[in-house]
Amino acid sequence: MSLEAAVGLRKGTLDLDVRLEVRSSGVVVLLGPNAAGKTTLLRALAGLVPLERGRVTLDDVVLEDAAAAVRVPTEQRPIGVVFQDYLLFPHMTVLENVAFGLRARGTGRTLARTRALEMLERVGLSDRASAKPKALSGGQAQRVALARALATDPRLLLLDEPLSAMDAGARAELRRGLSRHLATFPGTCLVITHDPIEAMTLGDQLVVLEAGRVVQAGTPEELSSRPRSRYVADLLGLNLYRGRADERAIVLTGGRRLIAADPVPASGEVFAVIPPRAVALHRVLPEGSPRNVWKGVVEDLDVVGNHVRAHISGELPIIAEVTPGAVASMRLDDGGPVFVAVKAVEVEVYEA
Amino acid sequence: MSDGDTTAGGRSREAAGGLAVVAGDAIAPPPRPEPPPWSAPAPATMRAARRGDERAPLGFVPLAAVAVAFLTLPLVALLVRAPWGSLPGDLTAPGVLAALRLSLICSVGALGLSLLFGVPLAWLLARVPFRGRNLVRALVLLPMVLPPVVGGVALLLAFGRNGIAGQWLDSLAGVTLPFTTLGAMLAETFVAMPFLVITVEAGIRAMDRRYEDAAATLGAGRWRTFRLVTLPLIAPALAAGGALCWARALGEFGATITFAGNLPGTTQTMPLAVYLALQNNPDAAIALSLVMLAISLAVLVGLRSHWFPSR
Repeated sequence: MSLEAAVGLRKGTLDLDVRLEVRSSGVVVLLGPNAAGKTTLLRALAGLVPLERGRVTLDDVVLEDAAAAVRVPTEQRPIGVVFQDYLLFPHMTVLENVAFGLRARGTGRTLARTRALEMLERVGLSDRASAKPKALSGGQAQRVALARALATDPRLLLLDEPLSAMDAGARAELRRGLSRHLATFPGTCLVITHDPIEAMTLGDQLVVLEAGRVVQAGTPEELSSRPRSRYVADLLGLNLYRGRADERAIVLTGGRRLIAADPVPASGEVFAVIPPRAVALHRVLPEGSPRNVWKGVVEDLDVVGNHVRAHISGELPIIAEVTPGAVASMRLDDGGPVFVAVKAVEVEVYEA
Repeated sequence: MSDGDTTAGGRSREAAGGLAVVAGDAIAPPPRPEPPPWSAPAPATMRAARRGDERAPLGFVPLAAVAVAFLTLPLVALLVRAPWGSLPGDLTAPGVLAALRLSLICSVGALGLSLLFGVPLAWLLARVPFRGRNLVRALVLLPMVLPPVVGGVALLLAFGRNGIAGQWLDSLAGVTLPFTTLGAMLAETFVAMPFLVITVEAGIRAMDRRYEDAAATLGAGRWRTFRLVTLPLIAPALAAGGALCWARALGEFGATITFAGNLPGTTQTMPLAVYLALQNNPDAAIALSLVMLAISLAVLVGLRSHWFPSR
């Protein structure tokens, strides 16, 4: 199983230029903010938007090559798609929806019905075969859409925000269900989402897309330990800085130095990441060990679970995670100055 | 996905997923700049309030009442003055039945021609951004606003025996259109087709094209997609456009009498028969009018779900 795609196209203000290589089966999650080009990339892979530049090959079969003017039409690509709001045909029954692809690809009526029923059984919906899509719950519609996309045995499965139509209560359960169904799929799945939890739990590999470019790719662990963009760091709730390496410190733009415990990479540009829970706040200048101390102002506080995240502005803006007790005892909400302290061992530095 | 064993696959996957723990831990605090969509309360019930408490501008109620009276009074008069006693006889007179039959044939024929040529035209106008599309649309819709008599004259100049196309039809194919039933049908098509085209085009524009994308990803070619997905999805527009088109064809008078004449049994449709009967047998004219009123009402009732969607 291999997908190799170089996709270059412009659409409105979006300038998409993405190189994507998947050499294994499993779930690849495409994560990115709104308007990053995720859906456009998916549509390009499915052949619904022509490439201006680039080439798409699936299992060594060229599906599209802009330079050679090769373009396999959508209906002939072995690609299944689960669209954002499922797009079940409203005038057909659930069974007819699932059988549609088989019929379109030449399977006889009876066989298509039997296969479609099998697919519905697999997603646990054989009792809704004669229902119209309107009568389904969101979770059921999602499973029907999945069954419909899988019925034609695609080699690549694309899912566009498969859980975005769900309400909060049902999400976790549906995510587990989806994860289970995707695991039975022998080919590659590409799942689009803007939700980090979905991305981390569904994906074996993550690809982060921002403004039409891949900014980072890797396993969820790699991403969460070494974010390489503001967006990823924000998603993970981490403080990310970029600067120049200088012995055991990194020099940020503006001249401010962050001191790390481990030797930093010798080369020039580096990232430094600081987890918010490693940031200590003081009302008076702390004494003793912390190597990084600076002054700031608490701009905002928000409660996350049983912690409070303090957004601190100043010469080096940072987010600190503190206990509600600390907020009360230090009167962090009065807007006065605070001292921020970060131990050198908590500053993780890696090459940019 | 040959004959996948769901359970086994699912387990192996879950076992392999130490992922979830690591990830869940790292992202416990949700990101700040973009609050997760589920945290926001659904702003659903905000705009429910204003309905039924509308206050009409001064004077609207009496003006609207006049409009309603003006539009309904003639129909009431038709019912009041109908010669109910002699109605069965009037309606079964040979000329009346022939006119009714001819009207049905011509109007249904016009509807068929309009569907055959008008639906593809509507599709192209809605979907293909070709140069001069607006001009084509304007030309196609012109017969809607053109006085029908002018349409009849124009048809005569085009398809008449000496018309610019008619002379060729006559000499090459031996087909004569003026003063034939086919001519009456074409005159009705000329006037009625734009109603179908404009309605169906709007329907195609309004439909969610992503359904067609979905069909394509499932392996359906263009024709199959059109037949099994597009057509059913635009069915309401098709029904409305078809009904408008057919009703317009049924009532067509000016173009028909100008181009096809008024030959009983051949080109004398109901409206023509009504007009003629009014000269010498008013009761028959009223009876014929009643029939057409009944047909129009039936169409309106049939389409009420489209024009007045139930809330």
